[in-house]
Amino acid sequence: MRRALLAITGLAAGTTALVVLKGGPGAGQATAQDLPAAQAPVAPGGSPTPGGVTPSAAAPSVSATPGASAKPSAKPSPDRRPASRGSTRTGTTPAAPKTTTKAPKPTTRTVTGSSVSYKYGSLQVRITLSGTRIVDATATGMPLGGQSGQRSDDVQARYSGSSGEVVAKQSADLSTVSGATYTSTAYQRSLQAAIDKA
Amino acid sequence: MTYQDTHAAGRRTGHPAPYGGRPAASVPPGRPRRGPGGRRALTALFWLGLAAAVLPWWLDTPAGSLTDTADLLTAGGRITGLIAGYLLLVQVLAMSRLGVLERSLGGERISRLHRDVGATLLVAVLTHLALLVVGYARQERNSVFGEVGALLSDYEDMVSAFAAAGVLVVVGFTAVRGIRRRLPYELWYALHLTSYLTLLLGYAHQFSNGAQLHEPGPARIGWIAAYLLVVAALLWGRVIAPLVFNLRHRLRVADVVAESPDTISIYLTGHRLNQIDMLGGQYFRWRFLNPGCWWESHPFSVSAAANGRWLRLTVKVVGKHTAELRDLTPGTRVWAEGPFGTFTAAHRTRERALLIAGGSGIAPLRAMLEELPPGAALIYRARQPADVLLHRELDWLAQARQTSVWYVIGRRDDPGPRQVMNPEGLRRLVPDLTRRDVYLCGPGGLVDESVKVLRAAGVPRRQIHLTAFEL
Repeated sequence: MRRALLAITGLAAGTTALVVLKGGPGAGQATAQDLPAAQAPVAPGGSPTPGGVTPSAAAPSVSATPGASAKPSAKPSPDRRPASRGSTRTGTTPAAPKTTTKAPKPTTRTVTGSSVSYKYGSLQVRITLSGTRIVDATATGMPLGGQSGQRSDDVQARYSGSSGEVVAKQSADLSTVSGATYTSTAYQRSLQAAIDKA
Repeated sequence: MTYQDTHAAGRRTGHPAPYGGRPAASVPPGRPRRGPGGRRALTALFWLGLAAAVLPWWLDTPAGSLTDTADLLTAGGRITGLIAGYLLLVQVLAMSRLGVLERSLGGERISRLHRDVGATLLVAVLTHLALLVVGYARQERNSVFGEVGALLSDYEDMVSAFAAAGVLVVVGFTAVRGIRRRLPYELWYALHLTSYLTLLLGYAHQFSNGAQLHEPGPARIGWIAAYLLVVAALLWGRVIAPLVFNLRHRLRVADVVAESPDTISIYLTGHRLNQIDMLGGQYFRWRFLNPGCWWESHPFSVSAAANGRWLRLTVKVVGKHTAELRDLTPGTRVWAEGPFGTFTAAHRTRERALLIAGGSGIAPLRAMLEELPPGAALIYRARQPADVLLHRELDWLAQARQTSVWYVIGRRDDPGPRQVMNPEGLRRLVPDLTRRDVYLCGPGGLVDESVKVLRAAGVPRRQIHLTAFEL
């Protein structure tokens, strides 16, 4: 029985440790490190990102090497970073790495739309603009698993990416993905907010 | 049932080959040792599997993506879900009676593993359920009960998944020792059998709703493969291997002999018995195919080493089933699964051994004595002289195999047992105690007490081998 208690304790500790490692209560730190790297190319004059990203953190991390984060308090992140990079949720979101490589171009900037809640969760659309033209779009924060995850994937596949409907139409007036009305509508609303801001 | 009328009747071993054939006291063939290698490999495999089960989540989750409480809860729910799915497979595999497992871990260790993993599995499933319901409810701004309703109505396969959790809870709680004792064995057994249902009921929701297993890919393929492997192991261990064994050997009861007023020996014969790869100290699960007993299967040790001509089990009559065994008629077919167990001379780590038996716990040790090198020692604890079983065989083995045998008779508090069952007493009898493997078989109280005494006397844990009658 003692071993069973030990195993249950181990289960609890292990689960908690995994969640914390992936950005638990200290998630504020983790996001602060990771998001600026992805959003580094936000134009200096760009509108403040309403996505909750601390604007102050964005400035120093424009440096081309994302590993050399300017934050000395950052936990040893090299092992975490590849994981986050290598596992962007769907294949249709090469946006994040791409923008970092384009960092030197002053004309490319990223704008994040407001967070929109809908039936299955909430999402936030991030568009990348080259001048005034939308060259890429992606949605973040959508539910991952199950049927709502399936809807997320459908919408993401149709709208996002550099060859998606957003880039093709250059507006938030998109055709609704059948079977994923709530998700589509939320996407369009967040996208509209991003376009308004840009 | 025959009662022995002369001292020689019913004793078919212990004589220098009165019926021809190999005398039981021949020098044991050099059995290869079976070390803990298999056990260690299986342990490593278990942890690797656990890591592999959680790995898909780890790779799928971008660092820092868990921002609010709902995300954290959902992530926790997913991890515990993956762990629970894995542990369920381990549970079923542990009970698959796969020869590899039974012979490298042993029944004792497997049932302890089954109990401990079972408790963990139950907690993992309930945590998985609770975290995901609350997590989804917060994400969708729903009440907890509303979310349960939504899960049941809107998501595929969730009704059966909830049913699986319910079955698991019932099975888990009835397995708690205190509750199990109050239930009739048959009811408990039937309830416990329904746990296979969880495998079936819980299967679909992992793929239709599992974030990590929904997408086609290595994780999904691996998970399905694990299921197939476990089902194959189950089929092999529970159906095919026993079928092959019993068609090959066709065991039958040859004779039932009274050893003492409440102990019997059952002699079995069959085909090709010399081809059974059995070690002294191992056990089979026996099913006696007569109208009263056929549906019950019980593990009993074989009480004589393999001799190619007959098998013998020595059983103390304690319950309804064992009482019915007294009335077995010769010729009754026997269905056996085995041989199983790591309680054998081949598993020792040192050259010499000390055996400690209590009551009818002598059976496996008696068989093992034939396979141990000369110089072994046996301490036989019994309540009263009449409880000493097989003592003529033991005396004879003692002489033929230079085994020291001590009969320690009396209650625990009597002077004799009290003198022996303490570190100094044991050391007096067996001075090189710490350089021997110690094999213990008997009632739980004796085994527990002996382990304490042995540890106090300085015998390393890995040199102590146990087999208890029950958990």
